[in-house]
Amino acid sequence: MIVTRELRKTYPAKRTLFRRSGGTETRAVDGLSLSIPPGAVTGLLGLNGAGKTTTIKIIATLLHPTTGTITVDGLDVVRDARAVRRRINLIAGGERMVYARLTGRENLWYFGQLYDVPRATLRARIDELLELVGLPDAADTLVERYSRGMRQRLSIARGLINQPAYLLLDEPTLGLDAPIARDLRAVVARLAQEGVGVLLTSHYLAEVEELCGHVYVIDRGRLVAEGSPTALTAGTRLPHTVELTLAEAAPAVSVAVGALGAEVETGLDAEGRPTYVLRSPDDLAGELATAVVRAGGAIVRLEVNPPTLEDAILAMAAPAPVS
Amino acid sequence: MATAMPTLRRNWLVTMRAYQWTYFVGTLATGILTVGLAYLAYHSIGGGRAGGGFAAAAGTADYLGYVTVGAAASMFTVRMVLWVAKAQITEQREGTLESQVLAPARRLPYLVGVGLQSLTTTVVEVVVMLAFAVMIGVRLPAPDPVTLLAAFVAASVAVFGISVPLSAIMITAGEAHITQNTLFVAMGLLCGFTFPPAYLPDPLRWLGEALPVTSALRALRAATLDHAPLSAAAPDLLLCLALGLAYLIVGLRLLGPAERVAIQRGGSA
Repeated sequence: MIVTRELRKTYPAKRTLFRRSGGTETRAVDGLSLSIPPGAVTGLLGLNGAGKTTTIKIIATLLHPTTGTITVDGLDVVRDARAVRRRINLIAGGERMVYARLTGRENLWYFGQLYDVPRATLRARIDELLELVGLPDAADTLVERYSRGMRQRLSIARGLINQPAYLLLDEPTLGLDAPIARDLRAVVARLAQEGVGVLLTSHYLAEVEELCGHVYVIDRGRLVAEGSPTALTAGTRLPHTVELTLAEAAPAVSVAVGALGAEVETGLDAEGRPTYVLRSPDDLAGELATAVVRAGGAIVRLEVNPPTLEDAILAMAAPAPVS
Repeated sequence: MATAMPTLRRNWLVTMRAYQWTYFVGTLATGILTVGLAYLAYHSIGGGRAGGGFAAAAGTADYLGYVTVGAAASMFTVRMVLWVAKAQITEQREGTLESQVLAPARRLPYLVGVGLQSLTTTVVEVVVMLAFAVMIGVRLPAPDPVTLLAAFVAASVAVFGISVPLSAIMITAGEAHITQNTLFVAMGLLCGFTFPPAYLPDPLRWLGEALPVTSALRALRAATLDHAPLSAAAPDLLLCLALGLAYLIVGLRLLGPAERVAIQRGGSA
């Protein structure tokens, strides 16, 4: 289990050679306590600048916390950094993290050596990973000739070279084509089933909803909510939107719709048919359909749009102070 | 060595793909030019003789031999500093510093791997440069092999040692050119590559002694020009090793915090 307790990270005000820039220090992470269990995908969400990448870099031993503790299976990430590094790996989207003038296979071979992967198993693991990320045909091509997506796929293979017990994924599907991103999600889900603990940040919230059993939402370094994606969305009491189109106008229907107590917008569609848009914290689709039919209306279209995790995150993130 | 040899192999692959022959020509040309210009000055201006003052200051009247050994040491120093000191900032520029730091491999064997590449390259380059020197008429006396080997090892430790804190400075500052060129100018002035440090004022001479390259050069010249036995060169060898190891230890302690500064500068969100 990865456990962070009261994690804080403060960046000092920038200095030039001769003077301070005049800015103030930045608190990127502010008292964050998280648990990332093995065998599950945990999400870490927030708007840009929320502190997600800093948190991941601290857990990955790349940065030291200002205060607070982080342990990985009981190992302290500052004191036992080398032992922690054997148990984790980080895949960051949109960053190179691989050598452009080596081939894909040479990159994995080199990183395998850095992780002390036994030579007897390294060759087979490299082939397996190249297959996994769809690069077997480009294995012996220089990375500088790879497309951005291919580099990202190689970076994913690099992140799996040491068979980490915990995988930190910072926007892993950034820049990937949809089929490759889908394959990666399948790989992540499979790794979690096999017992790997995964911490995922992603701007693609559908990805988070699909993979994560538990999500932490942070804003300006502070934890603002946590729970399953469904619970988080329900907890915000954001409105469900129901769009209704009738075959023809019926005064009794308008009365029935109004009686539901929701916020209602009325109008006409392109073919001149009456439309209703209802917004309510509860899903009123069933009640609406029943009321319309009882009032003698003929439904042409009924579409329900529940609030998404993205809506919930935006609602939770307080507006940034104007300075 | 589990990290050193793969790093050596990686660097060779990258170097041969990126620079091919241009990688070797630059340093070699500098060495050949140094010896060639010294040869011209010695014969055209000095009339084929060094002044008595030179012999007193350098401990030898063999000006061309003195410069040839200095040029070889300079090639070796520049090559080692350029590669070892710039290893981490090159990783940073190529976007691989984080994946490098993320791995459990230690920094010392990684830098040793980079240093081994410099070493193998320099040996070839120095042989070519010495062949040129012999071709234009520089007479190189047979060295004392044991002293030469010891001096070579000590010089390698010294230059490697001084490169490690320099690497920390480079990634902390986020730049390489000012740092490396400042060191090159300081070493060129203080260490005695092409003229005896005895010509310098005392404060500069003492400053030069703080750089292990100065004592390494004395040991190398003792082995090659004076055919000195190991016992005669031992004080310089020990000083050179002690200074080199001191720089190395300081550098290794600085490297971790320097890497974190570099990674922090890379993104703070």
